[in-house]
Amino acid sequence: MWVDLAITFVKILFVLAITVGFFAPVLTWVERKQSAIMQDRIGANRADILGFTVLGLFHIIADALKMFTKEDFIPQGANKILHTISPIIAVVPALLTFAVVPFGGQYTLFGKEVNLVISDLDVGLLFVFAIASLATYGYVIAGWSSNNNWSLLGSMRTASQMISYEVTMGLTIVGVLMVYGSMKLTTIGAIQEDFFRWGLFLQPLGFVMFLAASIAENKRIPFDNPEAESEIVAGYFTEYSGLKFGMFFMAEFIEMVTIGAIMTILFFGAWHIPFLSTATLIGWFDFLGTTGSNLLVMLIQVGVFFAKVIFFIWLQMTIRWTLPRFRYDQIMKLGWKILLPLSLANILITGIVILVLN
Amino acid sequence: MAYYVNRNIKMTWWERLYLPEIIKGMGITSRHFFVNLFGFVPFLLGAKKERPIMTVYYPEEQVQYPIAYRGRPVLAQNEDGQPACVACGLCEIACPAYCIHIEPSENSGKQNQYERWPDVFNIDYAICIFCGNCEEACPEEAIFMSDDCEISMLDRKQMLYTKEQLLTPVADLQKRIEFTRNMYAKWNY
Repeated sequence: MWVDLAITFVKILFVLAITVGFFAPVLTWVERKQSAIMQDRIGANRADILGFTVLGLFHIIADALKMFTKEDFIPQGANKILHTISPIIAVVPALLTFAVVPFGGQYTLFGKEVNLVISDLDVGLLFVFAIASLATYGYVIAGWSSNNNWSLLGSMRTASQMISYEVTMGLTIVGVLMVYGSMKLTTIGAIQEDFFRWGLFLQPLGFVMFLAASIAENKRIPFDNPEAESEIVAGYFTEYSGLKFGMFFMAEFIEMVTIGAIMTILFFGAWHIPFLSTATLIGWFDFLGTTGSNLLVMLIQVGVFFAKVIFFIWLQMTIRWTLPRFRYDQIMKLGWKILLPLSLANILITGIVILVLN
Repeated sequence: MAYYVNRNIKMTWWERLYLPEIIKGMGITSRHFFVNLFGFVPFLLGAKKERPIMTVYYPEEQVQYPIAYRGRPVLAQNEDGQPACVACGLCEIACPAYCIHIEPSENSGKQNQYERWPDVFNIDYAICIFCGNCEEACPEEAIFMSDDCEISMLDRKQMLYTKEQLLTPVADLQKRIEFTRNMYAKWNY
């Protein structure tokens, strides 16, 4: 029992370290640098320690220092409690979703079955979406409690956009469910050991719609109406400064990682290398003993998983720096008139195909 | 609802699908991304300006300005260390911003000496507009626009350059001198 607890603790620490400790800060740098390189610029490279700039990586430290030392400002007439609490409401769900996200398969280490997921829920997929939609409260409360018209506009846009795209997202998931027959994210991942059963091939339309809907959920360009700089200053976080602003920022980046992880599990073969099953890999490293080979395969597959996540983050960044922002009515039109019927049709076609094949 | 502008754009069915066009656009941006990703590497390895891309790491590496570039005006200094300027005051008059201040001095009859020279020659770069009129007005080839444009100061008073700061050996200005001879001969005043 104590061993299980310790293993869970280690997994939680790992997930926190890789999201809050690694991805969130590094992505701030990646976003600046990638946008610069895509636009033939050089990007952040001025912050230096003792003359070393290391490609501008010290800008992460500079940003953090700036956020820590800035004045924590609460506007006049704002609801102080809600204003303080809403960044937390926004950032916690983004972290919570990682509780059910498997970042590796099952391995036998020291005679013990280790499942690389913090909590292997039977309704893992539902849990992800239930928690992810909770973040909306954070954004809406943030806008409302700021006592600022721009903020309120931004939060209203957030609410409407989230509701519109959650429908598509949920219906896209139905297709995935029908194909795999399970809500358990670990099972969905395990099924994709076969390269030709990757979600990308079984649900190509679902993949595209899920990508669009999840970017809309994350409120990034081309769906960044809630924080449209040129229209409503900064949307719901107009009145935020210092670490609270940083938390909204962090929520966005962690959500990017979460989206990448879920896309990887549902559509991109989770932690599997194409045409290489876990058993084959363990067979290759059999000379290391059971624990040794399992440990090595575990490291490889966790690496593969995060490589795929990084690919999806790159994809989201490329989309963000390629496309212009949609107009508000275009977003609603895309959500309700195009994606919703398409996702319904997707379910219908999936159902017919499954019926015919059986 | 939104205001619709009739843009007279007829899109084909393929374009209205939207997705293929997005992928095309992302292809362009990611091509830039990958080309530049490796295009910036030669600088970090020490190579200068042999890269396929235009952007330079400014303070560390600088581009050669074209000879027609008008940086800060400087005074030409002859080989014997004296300014070529005869303090005629034409540049002072030509200057539209009144940034040049000259106090002339002249020979009292000694032989083998310059007849006239400026005692004080100040240019206030805080006022200068880098128009090049002084260079054009000068009959003695004494004032030239250099290619130096890094003249920012922390104090406005430091922007006032005196004669000693302005003097630049003629040898350094040879290219610009030839350029001005060419140009002003063609314009034929």
